[in-house]
Formats: sequence, structure tokens, C-alpha cells
Amino acid sequence: MVSFILKYKNLNEEREIPNENYSIKDLLDELELSAQTIVSKQNGELVIEDMIIEDGDEIQLVQIIYGG
Amino acid sequence: MQCTKCGNPKVIIKKEQSGQILCKDCFIESIEKKVIKTIKKEKLLDKGDKVLVALSGGKDSVTTLEILDSFRQMNIIDICAVTVDEGIDNYRQDGVDIAIRHAERLGIEHKVVSLKEEYGITLDEIMQRENHKGSCTYCGVFRRTIINKAAREMGATKIATGHNLDDEVQAIMMNYLEGNTDNLTKLGAKTVSNAKEFTVKIKPLREIPEREIGLYVVAKELEVHFDSCPYAMQSFRGEVSEVINQLSEKHPTIKYSTLRGYDKIKNVLKDELKKDYSHGRCARCGEPSANELCKACSFLEELGV
Repeated sequence: MVSFILKYKNLNEEREIPNENYSIKDLLDELELSAQTIVSKQNGELVIEDMIIEDGDEIQLVQIIYGG
Repeated sequence: MQCTKCGNPKVIIKKEQSGQILCKDCFIESIEKKVIKTIKKEKLLDKGDKVLVALSGGKDSVTTLEILDSFRQMNIIDICAVTVDEGIDNYRQDGVDIAIRHAERLGIEHKVVSLKEEYGITLDEIMQRENHKGSCTYCGVFRRTIINKAAREMGATKIATGHNLDDEVQAIMMNYLEGNTDNLTKLGAKTVSNAKEFTVKIKPLREIPEREIGLYVVAKELEVHFDSCPYAMQSFRGEVSEVINQLSEKHPTIKYSTLRGYDKIKNVLKDELKKDYSHGRCARCGEPSANELCKACSFLEELGV
């Protein structure tokens, strides 16, 4: 399986990369998260949401904006 | 794709409003430069100022402290900080601890003031009362009173808050939509009150979008308290924020143009509409007040504390 590790809040799980050119933006859409409230790290480094997720990547999503 | 400033291929932000694409170092530099530009343009600091930072431990106040500290390091200003502990279980303590660690790291004078010590009641206890007026009403008033008092006690000449571009644009639109012209005259980068007991308030982050402040603290690896207040609920501010953010997707410069437009009419608004409150003293606590009791004390009377 072509997969990556997703870290978000208490979540730390292996997920399948569903198709080629699957970007962090696609992942955020799938999780119904807004890029406006999240910053993303790919293998420990801050990246923009256009980045394509590769096999074995670790993707960490950090929520930086909370309501209220 | 590469950084439009230095060519580094490791980019961390595409700014929709300007088309700029920046790497981590150029992004950090751009935020710090922009805040310094606001401080100079709006004349927010004077040499010799002692600035009290209202430090919650969240991203906005930590960024305010971090950037103002560069002025302290150049011996232009002195800095102190106050953290208000509202008494919200499972929420506030993390922010208080982070605030304490930042103050220690920078070696600045810092105090934590709790609602419990100051008024004998916590926000959690107020929220258990029937007929309360909503958490944000009390929190805002008590926090403001505590910060004003701390500024006087610590000898501060300015109070710096972490209000960002999103906060300011929301306030402009909310007050406009509600027809609250009185509050509309009170916004801006620098607020000077007629009552000399109220220290001048400054908002150095007023031109930085909220998301960019979040990205700045992550990029700089600053410890901050990222969490949602348990009392945050669907408020009018939240609804206004949602509409503005929706509009920003197709019109990425709209927050800036709203702010610029307001700044152009602000002086006219103040001249035409500003009420000249006669400042007396609160009969209960002695703070400056337009009425017999200040807002904080009138809430305390209602709560019976």
C-alpha cells in the first residue's frame, strides 16, 4: 500500500494515498478542514498546501485558529 | 515554485493578497518588518516607554511580545507583562504557564492576576449563575479593568494588545452593522483616553492577518497555547468573521481595504461623533467611570459579590 502517516491533534495514523498527485489540500478537503485555520508540515518542515504527498511521508496538521 | 525574495525552493506561504511566495526566513522577516512599519507609521512607541503586554499565552500576544522585545533589546523601550487568569477549568492554566515561561525566557517583569483574587469569583462560577449575561461580557470587562490597573501599578506608559487584522476588521464591520457609531470611533492602532488613569493602548499586529500570526509562531517555534475557549460559542463576531472570510476567498485584499477605508474616515468619525464622557469616579472601586459605578462594579453588584 502506498501510504503516509497523518498526525493531527491526538490522531497518529497510517493512511492510504488514494491517487497520484494527492496534495495536502486534497487531504484537508477530505478531512473537511479549512486551509485558513491549519498550517501543514511535511516530514517536519512547514510547506504550502499544494505539496504532493509521497509514499512514506509524515504529514502533520497544526490547527492555529480556533473559534471564539 | 520558489521564494519570490531569495529564490529558496522551500516555500511556506503563498500570499493571495499580494502574489508573494515566501520561504520560512523571508516570511519571518516580512512579518517583523511589517509590524515595525506599523509601529513607526502610527507612532505607537516613544523612546523610554514602558510597554505592558497583555499576555494570554496565545499566538497573538506571544507574537506581540516577541516583536516588541526587539525594541527592548535596542534599549528603546522597557517591557512588562500581565496575564489574566479568568478561572476557566481545563483551559486557562496552560496559557498562564506558557506566559510565565516566556516572561522568564526574556527576563521581563510579569504578573498573573486572577479574577478569583481580584473579585472573589471565577468566570466558571459566574457561568453557573442563573441570568448571567454571557461569558464574553464579563470576561471582556473584568480583563480590561485588571489590565488597566496593572498598567498603573507597574508604571506602564502603553498597553500593547495582540489584536490582528481579522480582529480589527471584524470590529469595524460589527460596529457598522449594529449601527454602534460610538464604538466605531474607538477603534484604531492607538487609543488615547480622556481619563489620564487609562493608559494609551496600542495594537502593533493590526495589519497582520490572523493566519500569518499562526504561521509565524509555528515557523519561529514559539511555544503558544493553541486551544479553544470552552465558552466560545456562536457569537455575532463569529458570524461576521465567517462572512468576511468567505468574501476573502474571491477578494483576497478585502480585509486590507476595509481597514484602509476605516482609517481614512476615522478622524472624521471621531470629530463628528465622539462623545465627551465626563469622567467621575466609581463609587465602589474608585476607577474612572462615566456612571456612579464602573462597568466591572455594576456586574459585581448584580452578582452579589
